[in-house]
This record gives sequence, structure tokens and C-alpha cells, in this order.
Amino acid sequence: MVDLNKEFGAYSKNLNKASKDSNINNAMTRAVKSYRENVATAMERYPHTPELAKEVRKIKEYSIENNEMLLAQAMDAIEKNKGKAFFATDRADALRILRDLIGTGKTVVKGKSMLGEELQVRHNLEEAGNEVWETDLGEFILQLKNDRPMHILSPAIHVPREQVAEIFSEFFQKEVPPVISEEVGIVREFLREKYFNADVGISGANVVAADTGQVVIIENEGNVRLCTGAPPVHIVLVGIEKLVPTFLDAMKVSEVTWRYANYTAPSYLNVISGPSKTGDIEKVTTYGAHGPKEFYVIFVDNGRSDMMKEESFKQALYCLRCGGCMYECPVFQVTAGYYGRTYLSGIGSVWTTFVDGGVEKAAPMLYTCLRCGRCVERCPMHIDVPLMVGKLRSKVIEATD
Amino acid sequence: MPAKKIPPVLEILRDNIMNYGNPLALKPKENATWAKDLLLPTKGEILFYSGGEYQLLPYIDSLVKTITYVDSTSKIFSWLMEARKIVNLTGINAEKIYASLLAKDKARFYSINYKAVVILQKLGYEVCYDSQSDLYSGALLYELGFWRDLKNYASRLTEIIRKTQAKTLVCISPHAAEMFKLIYPQLIDFPQIEVITFIELVWRKREFLPPLNFDNPVVIHDSCRLARELGVSQELRDILSSVNVKSVEPFRNREWTTCCGGPSKMLFPQISKIVAGRRIAELAETGARTVLTSCPYCLSALQSGVDNSSEIMLEDFVEFLYRGFEK
Repeated sequence: MVDLNKEFGAYSKNLNKASKDSNINNAMTRAVKSYRENVATAMERYPHTPELAKEVRKIKEYSIENNEMLLAQAMDAIEKNKGKAFFATDRADALRILRDLIGTGKTVVKGKSMLGEELQVRHNLEEAGNEVWETDLGEFILQLKNDRPMHILSPAIHVPREQVAEIFSEFFQKEVPPVISEEVGIVREFLREKYFNADVGISGANVVAADTGQVVIIENEGNVRLCTGAPPVHIVLVGIEKLVPTFLDAMKVSEVTWRYANYTAPSYLNVISGPSKTGDIEKVTTYGAHGPKEFYVIFVDNGRSDMMKEESFKQALYCLRCGGCMYECPVFQVTAGYYGRTYLSGIGSVWTTFVDGGVEKAAPMLYTCLRCGRCVERCPMHIDVPLMVGKLRSKVIEATD
Repeated sequence: MPAKKIPPVLEILRDNIMNYGNPLALKPKENATWAKDLLLPTKGEILFYSGGEYQLLPYIDSLVKTITYVDSTSKIFSWLMEARKIVNLTGINAEKIYASLLAKDKARFYSINYKAVVILQKLGYEVCYDSQSDLYSGALLYELGFWRDLKNYASRLTEIIRKTQAKTLVCISPHAAEMFKLIYPQLIDFPQIEVITFIELVWRKREFLPPLNFDNPVVIHDSCRLARELGVSQELRDILSSVNVKSVEPFRNREWTTCCGGPSKMLFPQISKIVAGRRIAELAETGARTVLTSCPYCLSALQSGVDNSSEIMLEDFVEFLYRGFEK
């Protein structure tokens, strides 16, 4: 029998510790302030965004209802684009496909992906004898620190520049000053070589257009461009909930996502349909010009279709992962990712229940939620997290009664 | 001894509500001591409902202090819980014993109900009150996930409310109003009765409130339940305008209000206190030194966020408006 009381005890100690951590406190205070200011400015500059968000909610509702059909359509489109599409029912299935594609002894460069965290891709590939590099700066810091993300978009939100300098000095075996531009510079130099010598690039995706099979990835650093463009093989790992009917829908989802994710306009929007190709010599299509010769998309279920079947919880799948709710959560503001496991805060507790450990593992998170509802105000999809948390608490009680 | 499956504090709250009709097993007679001088009729059109919620606060605060000092997952706490069962067999409620040892502010919180009824009477409302129908609203059963128990409890509560034959149920706590207005009608055949908050009822006759001679601006802390679930926020501002009191707005207000931290008081008391302190800081940033709220749990939780050296004065709307009738 799982002793939930014990789970609560350990979790609660970490939560209390986090709330007294001055690094977390300073970082979160700054992040919340800047998030609120940036989003307010972006909304002023692009006032159509809330209306567009309403449209996107409808797109997501339709897409979740018709997910099976969209999945078949997208897989077909990807194959027509000369890529290869897979469907993985669960974590083990996804990792098996990934390991079969990559094998062993390879160098892999990876972009940030929550699904990657959910599946623990890096650790798994390392165990299989591969060298894996996280290329998102925050994820790279955490890889060296052997830590886990504390925010879905700013994973190293809790690590100040001084600590980054210490970590980098040890890793690069030279004095790295606590100057952000220098810290960024040294990682740039280090990873540049990795991109061009890597055998495989792995990325996540923000949205996938079923009609064209196009995968859309929003980013700022430029690491995803390099990860997905330089190595000879590109593998996309994406949850089935990211499917929408058309390319135009995908663009609408993207704009709303980045706007609520604190980016007035992101530096890059990657749209990838298939392997790199050229027809410049005699109009003969040849694959693997400058970019990858092989393009694979692994659609992962891992509990998502169960969520889709539940009337009360399918709205959690509308989540765009903009992270806006977290900045407005009074508990997350003082504890960061300690209020969570892979997925964080209130919405994270719903996701944890379905894809990352079940209701027992989610229980401490479910009871951390204040059910205050400010996340609903912030959420572009108006996902009713307090309602779902209430229902899941009743499942926790039912499971222990 | 089998492993405890859920934190004991949750079990205590459930057992007390189901067995005694009150999270801390306070008896209806004790809950109603505030009303004894008012000689209110037990039957009438407008039924005042306290749900014993303000009365709980000094005990909850004390219990939370006990939880904070004694780790609720520790052996000592488990031992205390076992002791509770033994003490319960003798007919004495253990939580009440340790809570009472630290109980403070009892008179203040009990008097809020008294003052609320006086305000309503002065505004011309004929209010009735029946301590036997003043059973706890069940909000914590709903909040904590005891939904199977909630359904049974709802039937019991509904029967009591039905028997009063009142046409309007005026709730001083927004949590109770949410239960009666939004939750119970989804669960059971709830009586066709108007459910209204104290604030809304006062708002209807706000022009009859005596003006307050209060020179400094005040700041409103909107309760999440009141602002988001019940959609009551402008009413608070209108009431203040009608008594000539200037209110200033914090950065986060109305439906964007910041939670007081109260909901996590029982399981994560340290986090609750930090959240409360941060909300107090947001409110203090306005420059106002008087913070008003209209929710027992906000009042209690925010109080834990006020530093001893702080100039912030926290009042319930009832207490603030009652000043006008004290002259």
C-alpha cells in the first residue's frame, strides 16, 4: 500500500525548503515582474491576441475530439513528405522506437522538450551508450548541474549567474566570470562543434499541422535551428495532443502560444515538413542537401488518449504550454518547480495524474493547489484547473477510502 | 498499525464535519453564543447563515500553529491522532483541547456575526437565525475531495435548510455562498431559495449606511471565491463610496486578485504564511494601511502574513461598516 502521508512528508519538506531559498525567491520575483510587464506590452501592441486565443480554443476543442483522424492524416502527410512517422502508445514504446532509430555510440544534440522530460529521453539514450547534449541554455546548465527543470520555458530559472559561473568553471576547466554574456558565449562555442559533428538531432514540437504534416517549433536561442538542421538525422518527439487540422490553424496556435509565453515575437519559428532536399541538378530530387537526410516523427500517446476520453479532464490537453499560469500561481511564485514533478503547478498536477505516475504521485501536488483560479484568468485557453484539481482530489480520496 | 493513507489532518476534518457538523467539532450552542443578546426569531424570510465559519478561526489558527510545530507526518503527530481517538471515546474532542490552549481573538471573530446582523437590522432587514440550522456549509469536504461524504452531508444540510422555510439565505462567508449557490444545486435537489452574500444584501441598501469618518484610504483584498466564483467585487467598492471612504486598488484585484494562502493552511502552513505575507506586501504597496476583506478565511490567513511591526490593520468589511453604527 502506498503511504500518501509519507509522500506528502517528503514533498512538503522540499516545498518549504524551496520557499526559503533566496535564489528561487530572487529569480522568481524578477521573472514574474518581467513576465507581467512583457505580456502587458505585447497585448497592447497586438490587441487581437485575446480574440485569436478564443479561436484557438475552438481549434483545440475540435482537434482533441478528432484526434485519431488527425493523427492518421498527419502520419500519412509526413510519409508523403518522405519522412517517417511512428505512433508510440506509451513511454516504453517511444523509447524503444527512439533507441532503434539511434542505436548506440552516437552523438545526439537535443532541443528543449517537455515530452523529452516526461520520457526521460536523455538518460535513456545515455544508458544506451550515446553522448547526448542538451542545447537549450537552461537545459544545458541543468544537465551539468544534474538537476531538473524548474519552469517549463525557463528550466534553470532558479540558478543565478554566480552559480552558473561556478558550474561552467568546473566543467570547462577554466575561470568563467559571473557575466551572463560570457556564460552564453562559452556555451555557444562549445555546442557549435557538437551540432556539426552530431549524428542525430532531437526536438519537440509546439504544434503539428495534420493536413501538411508540418511540425512547428517556436524558439529564441537558435539552438533548435541548428539541432534540427545540422545533423544528418532529425527526430521529432511530439504528444498527440499537439495535432491541429491545418497549417493555418498551426500558425494561430503558435502566435497565441508565444504571445502568452512572454515573447512578443519569438526570434525563430521553425516549420519542418520533411528531410532536406534539392532538385537543382537536372530536377532530380535528392534528399539530404544541407539539412538532415532522414526525418522521423514519433507521436506519443502515453496516457493522453485516456485523458481525451474523460469529459472532465480533456480540457487539460488544450494547454499550449505557454507557462503563463505558473507566473500567476501564488505557490509557484515562491517554490518554482518544487511544486511539481515533470509537469509543474496546478495544470501539471492534472498532467502528472495521467502521464507521469498516476493519482498517487500527483496527490501532494493536487493538494498544493490553492484552487484560487487566477491561472484560469491568465490561461489563453481558460482551462479550468481548479475544477479538475477538485475532481482529482476526490479520486485521491476514493483511492484511499 | 496500518500505514495512514492520507495526511491525518484531512481525516480529522472529515470526521469532525461528518460526526459533529463542524470541522473542529464545535457544538451548535457554542457557535451561537454571539447571537444570544440579539433575541432573533428562529423563523422568517431572511435566514442569517454563519455556518460557524468565523467562529472556527481562532481554533483553526491555533491548530495550524500546532501542525506547524509538530510535523503532521511525524510519529508524534500520529501519536497525537491516536490519542485523539482515545480522548474521543471519552466524549471529549482532542483538537478542541489543543486548539483551545492557544485560542486567541475568540471574542473578535465571534462578534463579526453579531455585527453583521446588527448592520442588516439597521438597514431594515428582518433577519432570523436558528442555531440548529447553522450547520457548517461543507465547503471543506468539497475542497478536500471528500465528495462521497459531501453528498450525504448535503442531504442532511438541505433538509435543515428546507425546514426553515426561509426565502433568502444570507451567507456571511463566500465559501458557504458558493456551496449553496453553485455546488449543492449540482449535487442534489436543493431548495428553491435565494442565496446571497452579506455584501450583496448590504449593497442593495447601501444608501442607508451611515457615512464613516475615515480620512485615510483603504485597500480591498478581494476574496477569490467572492470575486471569481460569485462575481462580487464592484459591490465592495460601491459600498465604500456610499460611506464616503476612499479605496485604492492593488496591482492585482477583482478577478485577478491574489489568493490569501488560506487554502493551504492545514497541509502546508509555512507556504500559506509566505503567500499571505506576499499578498499583504502587494496590498501595502498601495500606501493604504487599512486592508478590508469579506471572507473569514482571507481574514485569518492574511493576519498570519502581517508582521508584528507592521502598520497594516486588517479588518473584515463587517467590522469596518459597523463603525458607523457605534457612534
